[in-house]
Amino acid sequence: MDMATAQDFVYRPHDRKSDRGRSRDADPVTTQVVRHSLGSAANQMKRVLVRTAYSPIIYEAQDFAVAVYDRQARMLAQAPTLPAFMGTMNFCVEAAIAGIGGEEKLEPGDAILYNMPYGTGSHAQDCAVVMPVFMPDGELVGYTANKAHWLDVGAKNSYCTDTTDVFQEGVVFPGVKLYRRGELVEDIMAIVVANSRMPRPVRGDLLAQVASCRIGADEFVRVVERFGSQTFWDCVERMYEHGEAVVRAFIEQLPDGRYEAQGHLDNDGLSENPITFDLAVEVSGSTLRVDFSRVPDAQRGPLNCPLPSTVSCCRIALAMFAGNSEAPNEGHFRPIEIVTRPGSMFHPVSPQPCYMYGWPLMSAFEAIFEALSRALPGRVPSGSAGDICGVQYWGHDDLRDEFFYGGCSLPVGQGASVGGDGATLFVSPLAQSKTPSAELMETKWPIVRFERWEYVTDSGGPGKQRGGLGWDIHWRFMKPVEIVSIVERTKVPSWGQAGGLSGLSNRFVLSYPDGRDVEIRKVTGLPVPAGSVVRIRCGGGGGYGPPTERDVAAVRRDLQLGLVSDTEARRHYPQAFS
Amino acid sequence: VSSRIGVDIGGTFTDLVYFDDETGEVVVGKVPTTPASPEQGCIAAVREVVPDEVLRRSAYFLHGTTVGLNALLERRGALVGLLCTEGFRDVLEIGKGSRDMYNLFWKPPAPLVSRDLRLPVRQRTTFDGEVVSPLRESDVLAALETFRAAGVDSIAVVFLHAYANPSHELQAEQILRAAGFTGAISLSHRVSGEYRDFERASTTTIDAFVRTRLSGYIDHIEQSLKGDGFDGTCLMTRSGSGSMTFAEAQERPFETIMSGPVAGAEGAAELARRFGLGHLITADVGGTSFDTCLIIDGRPQLLHQGTVAGLPVQTSWVDVRSIGAGGGSIARVDKGGLLTVGPQSAGADPGPACYGRGGTLATVTDAAFHLGMLGDGLLASGLRLDATAASAALAPLARELGYTVDEAAKGVITIVGSNMAGAIRELTIEQGIDPREFRLLAFGGAGPLMGTELARELGLREIIVPPHAGNFSAWGLLGADLLRSRARTRVMTLDARALDEINRIVAELLSVLYEDGFEATADTDRCEIALDMRFDGQEHSLTIAPDHDRGRVSSTPAELTEKFREAYRRSFGLTLHDKVQVVSVRAARRRALPRRSERLSLATHGTVGEVSAYSFALRERCRFETLYRGDLRAGERRRGPVIVYEPTATTYVDVDFSYGVDANGCLILRREEH
Repeated sequence: MDMATAQDFVYRPHDRKSDRGRSRDADPVTTQVVRHSLGSAANQMKRVLVRTAYSPIIYEAQDFAVAVYDRQARMLAQAPTLPAFMGTMNFCVEAAIAGIGGEEKLEPGDAILYNMPYGTGSHAQDCAVVMPVFMPDGELVGYTANKAHWLDVGAKNSYCTDTTDVFQEGVVFPGVKLYRRGELVEDIMAIVVANSRMPRPVRGDLLAQVASCRIGADEFVRVVERFGSQTFWDCVERMYEHGEAVVRAFIEQLPDGRYEAQGHLDNDGLSENPITFDLAVEVSGSTLRVDFSRVPDAQRGPLNCPLPSTVSCCRIALAMFAGNSEAPNEGHFRPIEIVTRPGSMFHPVSPQPCYMYGWPLMSAFEAIFEALSRALPGRVPSGSAGDICGVQYWGHDDLRDEFFYGGCSLPVGQGASVGGDGATLFVSPLAQSKTPSAELMETKWPIVRFERWEYVTDSGGPGKQRGGLGWDIHWRFMKPVEIVSIVERTKVPSWGQAGGLSGLSNRFVLSYPDGRDVEIRKVTGLPVPAGSVVRIRCGGGGGYGPPTERDVAAVRRDLQLGLVSDTEARRHYPQAFS
Repeated sequence: VSSRIGVDIGGTFTDLVYFDDETGEVVVGKVPTTPASPEQGCIAAVREVVPDEVLRRSAYFLHGTTVGLNALLERRGALVGLLCTEGFRDVLEIGKGSRDMYNLFWKPPAPLVSRDLRLPVRQRTTFDGEVVSPLRESDVLAALETFRAAGVDSIAVVFLHAYANPSHELQAEQILRAAGFTGAISLSHRVSGEYRDFERASTTTIDAFVRTRLSGYIDHIEQSLKGDGFDGTCLMTRSGSGSMTFAEAQERPFETIMSGPVAGAEGAAELARRFGLGHLITADVGGTSFDTCLIIDGRPQLLHQGTVAGLPVQTSWVDVRSIGAGGGSIARVDKGGLLTVGPQSAGADPGPACYGRGGTLATVTDAAFHLGMLGDGLLASGLRLDATAASAALAPLARELGYTVDEAAKGVITIVGSNMAGAIRELTIEQGIDPREFRLLAFGGAGPLMGTELARELGLREIIVPPHAGNFSAWGLLGADLLRSRARTRVMTLDARALDEINRIVAELLSVLYEDGFEATADTDRCEIALDMRFDGQEHSLTIAPDHDRGRVSSTPAELTEKFREAYRRSFGLTLHDKVQVVSVRAARRRALPRRSERLSLATHGTVGEVSAYSFALRERCRFETLYRGDLRAGERRRGPVIVYEPTATTYVDVDFSYGVDANGCLILRREEH
């Protein structure tokens, strides 16, 4: 069953053991208390970052992750943040430490800045801050780390859909000390600021990240002191074993086998050729392996997903099923193996471009769920419209005399499940994101005026349970701007299951003031005249079960609410008209 | 003239407290809540507990109720129609789009107004209040036709940016009235002067949804009390602390929605002010939940946006953090072999196993009783706890963990205590506060049981168990100031011009707040001003109180900026030098109720007993004395261990604490160094 070949790369969680603790010496009560205390440290890091950040992409989209690691870079705790980031942070920690020359170069009060895409799993805009945590006696016990999306770090544009190598994608910090012994290294900050089109928010966000790491580090030390070092480390080992046992117990319920599915993307950002990739989930006993070895070679454009995000995608998808509804730690990740092929679109190597790593990731997420639906009929919701339909804009704010950058990510129709219709929510890898309100955005960026924020009739995939509705969001630009559009999955809609059908796919039409309507998928830096209207249709989710089995009262209710038109209802749900 | 009656309706019990200024006596009572008709339960409680002459000479009736909240939780309210800006019909349903990441099947609660009753009106106002498209009367009238056909009782009107310019909402109201609509109308700008259309729409529809129910409820209580001879003022607790008149509660029903835990926080604040207790952390432990809040400078901390039954509410509320950890919380061993406690609760029925009402799952109360922390287990209600049932419920846990029953019970208390301590730690540390500078005020049926364990876990030195500990929330009603507040969003850079604008907005808000028919009297009447401020470009703000002279801000922009930076440094450990923005302006009017001087009397028993109980400090069982609170003499201090009984609570004092009653009747536990 092992289909990995010689050139494949198999990622397994490292088994670097710590000699500090022995799980057999830990009691289950104290272990639980230690686990909660570490979770609380991570939650505090999250709150500080959310409340001090400058950009809505952090405080609304929650485009960040925070976590606490032990000295072996094993994950102690993580706050619920951007799921797509959550499984990548150990890579950031390890790479950041390597970047400054190893553990022995660390001193109390240091904070390391790191954003190499192949090490963070993201694009250069996602910058990690890693802070070593020292006990008062000087012992290094671990790290606090976060990774957050910066508005601009000097790529060819503030957001890019058309890069062809990593050097066009932003300034890279390969692991440098931003703070040395508690003092800000002004030279590094000067480089950060000088390389950004939006220096003020970027500086603010970076300092928010440092504040977040610092509060986590202080709390980490207090937790170790509260329990005493030996007890603490004993409990940590026991905690990892607990997490591992929970996930293994889940995997063991799955029938052994290989479950395949296909992922879809509209194009590589440079051409209009659709991309499909095959992945498989292999279950063997209590181990789960996700096989990306047969995906295409790295794309010419930036739709490549670096290894840490490929790994994260699998970790988080499984945690959503198997994690006992609790925040994962290192142990939860131990039963998962990932097979990739270096140089492929899920394991790009330098200088292959990866600015849009998040889109292959979202698509892989959908495909993993679809594969799992074959192992677990009835226990996986159908597919979502699979995107965040991001159209962003930038220009010069005459009032404040500075560059502005606006936009937001959007929820889409989610798949129906055996138990009910789908809702309209963010896709799973962005579960904690929030749509900012129209009032807030108009106040912040007075150059936009919203015109529509409504469901699209007939957009939810028909089924016994209906897919979640898609919706229209329209806004007008009152001044000329440049836009970047990433509206994906316009060609392949959500997947339905057990006879359920697909919902409408995503779509973006730009209406120019002269009356022209142009459909756009990906574009970077497109000048748009004042008076133009952005019309985005966020797609609908897939249905579950044959539409002809839908409850007649539910069909009538959908008609009354205008969620389904009379024509489409007659076509899919004849039972309501007999 | 300071006699008053407080009635707090909870999920299981209705608590009643009255203060009689002729005797100085405080009398407490507890009757079962009648969920089907809480207004009748309330009146029945008054008739049962309060003597006629006390009712007749009482000046105030103070009431805390979850009627509005329950209407929301059970979705039993008015049929609401919503008028919204054309094109924005689904804002209320699409919401924020965020989800529970560990539950793939999670769905948001259904909106209070279904899509067929959310109807568009052509009109548009911008963020700075400019009208760019006039209101079309015909759209309002067409919508009214639909509402009438559907039998709508109550109409909510939510237009974009109405906080910046309310004229269209006011016009819509006029049109609806002129067309003969006689039901309730909720206008979003009256409900909330703050931006964020989804949150304001949610709050406005909640207002419309609960209005009729709460109005009828209030009328019934007021009429019944009047009929029984009460001639004072009726007040109701507000989510944002303090109380409001029944008339205002009928006008602004959404302000009662999050008032559940407010009475306890108010009581704690009054105690802190009256006895100079300094800063407090409250630990209110009931059957299903643990509620904690901070009392700083004698006031509970406020937040300005919350969530109730999954729906956002844009209103001030007391920052009480609640977790599912109480006496009824159920302990179990999870799939990975670790012990967990809560959030599921055995509730009142069947309740903990030791209640002998058929419960078989081990709860916190079972563990505490098994460990001897509840003494002999004779409750004030006359119920005697069943020791065999408690250990039988704990035995399976012990087996799974490979523990003795004592060890399993100890584990349950340790974990529930650590969950509570974690909630306190997050509440304090996130605001840059060191909990060790605070005292713990422990109340509710099980708060005094957990006090020493929490204090040890958090490094606190002193625990206060207030008089009437088990009914403390109801007692807290008696001191609730009359409070009204309003807010308005106006985003601007803080400078001299902004200060003029702030003063103009404050004047407008205050003029509304003083239109309440009450004479303004200098000694008891105060206005309060607060500003939500942030660094230019940030989203989240901190609320800062400027100095002011009767409603005119006297701080300079530079002083305000410094005050903001200092608060920011305290909360987040660093500060920035960017420009500062004001986001929203808040004003409140506060009138204290007349002072009352209470005399405390607890029945004496004169009996001392003994029980074998577990000491968390010694990590073994030892002999605990048991005695009655009424037998403690003020000023005397002794070393634990001891278990102190009083009618509605039991205080567990571990060996490393001393205890004694102070001159105010508070039971003070103090951690002693070894």
